[in-house]
Amino acid sequence: MQESEVHLVNEKIDLSENTCPNREERANGINLYYGKASDLVKDARAGKLKQCDRKFQQTSGCTLNFYLTVRVNTIRDASIIYHAPVGCSCPSLGYREMFQHIPASLGAPDNYDLHWMTTSMNEKDMVYGSTDKLKAAIKEAERRYSPKAIFILTSCASGIIGEDIEGAVNEVQPDTRATIVPIHCEGIRSRLVQTGYDAFWHAILKYLVKEPKKKQKDLVNVASMLSYTWQDRLEIKRLLGRMGLRVNYVPEFASVEQFEQLSEAAVTAPLCPTYTDYLSRGLEQEYGVPYFMYPSPMGFANTDGWLREIAKHTGKEKEAEIVIAEEHKKWDPKLKAIKEEFSKLKPNGEKVEILGALGQGRLLAQVPYFDELGVKSSAAMCQDYDNLILEELEKVLETVGDFNILVNTFQAAEQAHINRRLDPDMTLTCPFQGSSYKRLKGVTRVHALRGDPNLWAQQSAYAGAVAYGNFLLQGFKSTSLQRTMKAKTKDGYRSWYYEQENPIFFIDNDEAVST
Amino acid sequence: MTEAKTIVEDAPSYLEVVEAPRWTCSLGGAYITTTAVYDAVPILHSGAGCGIAQLLGVYYAAGENAAGGQGGTSTPCSCLIEKHVIFGGEDKLRKLIDSTLQMMEGDLYVVISGCVPALIGDDIEAVVKEFKGKGDIIFVNSAGFKGNTFDGYEDFFGAVIDQLLEPRKQEKKVVNILGVVPFQHLFWKGDLNTVKELLAKLGIKANILFTQFDGVKKLKEIPEAELNIVLSTWNGHKTAKKLKETFDQDYISFPSVPIGPKQTSEFLRAVAKKLEIPAIEVEALIAEEERRAYRWVEYLTDAIIIGMPRPYAAFIGDTNTIIGITKFLANEAGYLPEIIQITDEPPEESRDLIIRELTDGIESVLKPEIIFEKDTFRIRENLRNRSFQVMLATSLEKWPAAKEFAVSHLSIAFPTYDRVIVEKTYAGYRGGTGLLEDLLSKYVGPL
Repeated sequence: MQESEVHLVNEKIDLSENTCPNREERANGINLYYGKASDLVKDARAGKLKQCDRKFQQTSGCTLNFYLTVRVNTIRDASIIYHAPVGCSCPSLGYREMFQHIPASLGAPDNYDLHWMTTSMNEKDMVYGSTDKLKAAIKEAERRYSPKAIFILTSCASGIIGEDIEGAVNEVQPDTRATIVPIHCEGIRSRLVQTGYDAFWHAILKYLVKEPKKKQKDLVNVASMLSYTWQDRLEIKRLLGRMGLRVNYVPEFASVEQFEQLSEAAVTAPLCPTYTDYLSRGLEQEYGVPYFMYPSPMGFANTDGWLREIAKHTGKEKEAEIVIAEEHKKWDPKLKAIKEEFSKLKPNGEKVEILGALGQGRLLAQVPYFDELGVKSSAAMCQDYDNLILEELEKVLETVGDFNILVNTFQAAEQAHINRRLDPDMTLTCPFQGSSYKRLKGVTRVHALRGDPNLWAQQSAYAGAVAYGNFLLQGFKSTSLQRTMKAKTKDGYRSWYYEQENPIFFIDNDEAVST
Repeated sequence: MTEAKTIVEDAPSYLEVVEAPRWTCSLGGAYITTTAVYDAVPILHSGAGCGIAQLLGVYYAAGENAAGGQGGTSTPCSCLIEKHVIFGGEDKLRKLIDSTLQMMEGDLYVVISGCVPALIGDDIEAVVKEFKGKGDIIFVNSAGFKGNTFDGYEDFFGAVIDQLLEPRKQEKKVVNILGVVPFQHLFWKGDLNTVKELLAKLGIKANILFTQFDGVKKLKEIPEAELNIVLSTWNGHKTAKKLKETFDQDYISFPSVPIGPKQTSEFLRAVAKKLEIPAIEVEALIAEEERRAYRWVEYLTDAIIIGMPRPYAAFIGDTNTIIGITKFLANEAGYLPEIIQITDEPPEESRDLIIRELTDGIESVLKPEIIFEKDTFRIRENLRNRSFQVMLATSLEKWPAAKEFAVSHLSIAFPTYDRVIVEKTYAGYRGGTGLLEDLLSKYVGPL
């Protein structure tokens, strides 16, 4: 097949549609692969990536839960309506505690309340439909909270019974002060949780972003994730502030006005390229806001590049160089000290091996960052793969060489398997009660969550690269928890499984390939 | 956008449209109950997010618990997508059960099916039947739209009774404990084990079903009990009735897990009477336990009387938890319940009893206002313009308590993200002092 014929990525975004295409369709996304990263990119280039089924599969996350719910929840002057049976919204029960413990001295606003409601779809709704109930919920949300926006999050149930969400929205919008923003995140629509992000940004672009009143030349759009802690936000704000720029952080803890202004910014910068992709493309296509996808500000070289890219779009090249030089002067010795400590962990100059990564963005940024620390990632895990990162993954391969990659979305058995087979010196995990943390060598978490206001937990930019380097070193200082748990508790999987070469043992070859 | 018309202040026309109700769906209820039985393996036939949603929304909300070796991302799930909606999910389920039997050790496999298979009409029973003889496998039809956590708990036992249990000879002084819903009742592990130990002191063998290493064996022993004890005004009653019909087992109920000495003594007397244990034995045990318990309460009374004597208190939570805790604080520590909000929507027929427990059952000149409310927005509204100094509620009320009401707050009901609860319990003779320790710790300081 000629390369030109291979579909890699849909470049265009169509806001006349109710929602985005799935990642499977938009960028040939998959969430099942085990092998050399070099083979993965080769197959991707050739259009040969196949999404197979697993016979054995574990609960992992859908387009709604949990990544989307916990993000939309934090928008400050909005409210959410889950048009769903009551279980779909339970991950949001922590909403009233989000960001509340951050002290005002660190810049947390005094007064805000987050809100969500559910239509608690029931058996009757399945038979008769429930758009009337949805309309009543919108009215009630408006009466109670006077929100600036009302987000509607859909569910498998609302999708299967064919609820006319847009019909209902169009009917009540004229009588509603808040802008109603329906997001199509029916869990069944896609295997890939990232489809949920695209669906969210699609709705933001379609309903919430306004025509620019004026261009704000010093405003930088940054789409932040829950893995970016409060200190990461402050650090990025500080660095850009020194270049005379302001950050427009969405969606985490943003106000509705910040979404409306996305069109006025000078540039959209990524923290995670594939998370931000749809928004970035949309803002450029609709409002001419330029964007770049790489790099993300994780690690020193990446942060240099990130600041320079932003500077290019804002005319702050000189300022960027000053900031970069100052930061290097301050932090280089500290990074060097960390590197030295890592080099002493194993004898004969052998490098420490760390198995980690989570999303695609982290994979791309973390592998080179670990290289800076003098740490080896001979394998990496990634929740999904799609062609949005193809070129960049090729570049990473050029820089750091080949490595094995396991593409799976929280498949706990596969993760336990690869950890046992590869036996890295340190594994990075958020267990979610998978068992891969039970081992003899190192274990620590991938990242903190957004609410963490501790400097120790940051990972972004230069300060964060040093903090995280120290954090990883700290992880080597005790193995008592994981050793004890390994020795004293049972493993959930039978031993034959660990003897197999391939963690993806139960691939379903009988099943027709589908997207 | 055009200027909106004035919105008329009207009541919501749909009572189930609410802010943050304090439960999950029936799939969630059946799932969390399954994981409380050790060596039972849940198999979700549902969308991919249905299990992990419970991890964030139930396990973590139940005192930041992880989900154990068969829960969370370890739970097998058919992860249904659109093509299954079109072609059916039975084949996928068949392959999932087969591979799970190969992969995961378990004494019982519980297929829990959610909204998607219910809407597309998968025949779960037929698929499960194909595995007959390959191990104990049962199925629970618990589509999320059919009910909530509490329904899921009863659904699980309904499936166990219909598909797993066989008649056995009833044994004297053997009882089953029902009505404590794992995770949804935050202190379930400690509560159940405390009740087991208490009854053991009277020579009664209590089968608490959950947190037992031979958990599936314990389930199968359910028909051996001569009596079912339901520790709730309404949870577990459906199961107890079904057991009565199926195995002719008698049952009694107690309004909650007994919290503190008075309720515990009352509980022991009631059970002993039912099982014809001589009063003299029971009274001897009670005297010994109470003597110790109240001597230890003496350590607390300075802090109570100087720190905050007889505070007006607001209570918010599920029926079981609130009855036990409110009665203890009112009847043994001088607290004055001002407002009680019951959040778990108990059925109409149980509400008179609940109200009686919280009014006639309380030694206080003032009787609290009792509101049945599941809507977190209205629960907050109902707290305004009152005089309470302390709030026993959930972590949903933590920040309103601090920032709006400026009162002390302790999370004692679901959801609770701001405490870690593993073995902690307020049940039994020592539980009352345990509760006061936690509560007073929220406001004591140097004199």
